[in-house]
Amino acid sequence: MARIMVVDDAAFMRMMLKNVLIDGGHEVVAEAANGMEAVQQYEAHRPDVVTMDITMPEMDGIQAVRAIVSIDAGAKVIMCSAMGQQQMVIEAIQAGAKGFIVKPFDKDKVLAEVGKLVPNPV
Amino acid sequence: MGMEMLSPMTELIDGIGNALGTVLPLPVSLGTPDVVDGAVYQPEMGVLVGVTGDFRGRIIIQASQSVFSSFGMNMYGMALEGDMLESFVGEIGNMIAGSTCTAISQKGLTLDITPPTVLVGHTKLSGFARALQIPVGIDGVGELQVLLVLEEHLSQQ
Repeated sequence: MARIMVVDDAAFMRMMLKNVLIDGGHEVVAEAANGMEAVQQYEAHRPDVVTMDITMPEMDGIQAVRAIVSIDAGAKVIMCSAMGQQQMVIEAIQAGAKGFIVKPFDKDKVLAEVGKLVPNPV
Repeated sequence: MGMEMLSPMTELIDGIGNALGTVLPLPVSLGTPDVVDGAVYQPEMGVLVGVTGDFRGRIIIQASQSVFSSFGMNMYGMALEGDMLESFVGEIGNMIAGSTCTAISQKGLTLDITPPTVLVGHTKLSGFARALQIPVGIDGVGELQVLLVLEEHLSQQ
């Protein structure tokens, strides 16, 4: 089981990802609706993995990845993108993200991506 | 429709057809496009996503709440309503527009999408010269309308 934070400005996507992750045996320890909240919640909860939307108000996902990695160089962030945002995904990987998944999500792919980053979670 | 609009619009129509088939887990059939001049009336619910890059335009997807709700049930097994349905409709727009632009990008054009704007209630959409409205039948669910708007001054590339 991994402790995971879900970041997305769309309440539906947060709910859907949360259900998938909990069904997969993980714990969702925090949620955030924008990059600013994500950075604050990361500092407060130090999750094992973060799923991060790209396009969000206040602070976008790429800026949030940079901020989180500056706090914790070992942070494990998975970007969640719509198709058509490949350039942004590349920017996010350069900013320190460790993986990405494309919407619409496939449950198995979400869990596999988390499993790659946390193969033997405590 | 002028020839200068034909290529990007054709690409958009092809891209939308592919995207709907990719995103929605149901058989879809595109109807005959109609040219719309000046304004269109949204009956119930919709989502607008902007397209930027080598050409600029807007993709608007309209349907009844029950059709959008059926997508949620078919895609994620959840009955959606209220704020959660609106959030889902925004994501549907994001996924369809994003998938459309990805398909077009494979032909060498560079495109990106803007965040979705969800439209709720009876609304008049105007502020464009011409658009194409495409009816799309979804097996077992109903019909949605896709409206494609190109900004003409940018479509001459």
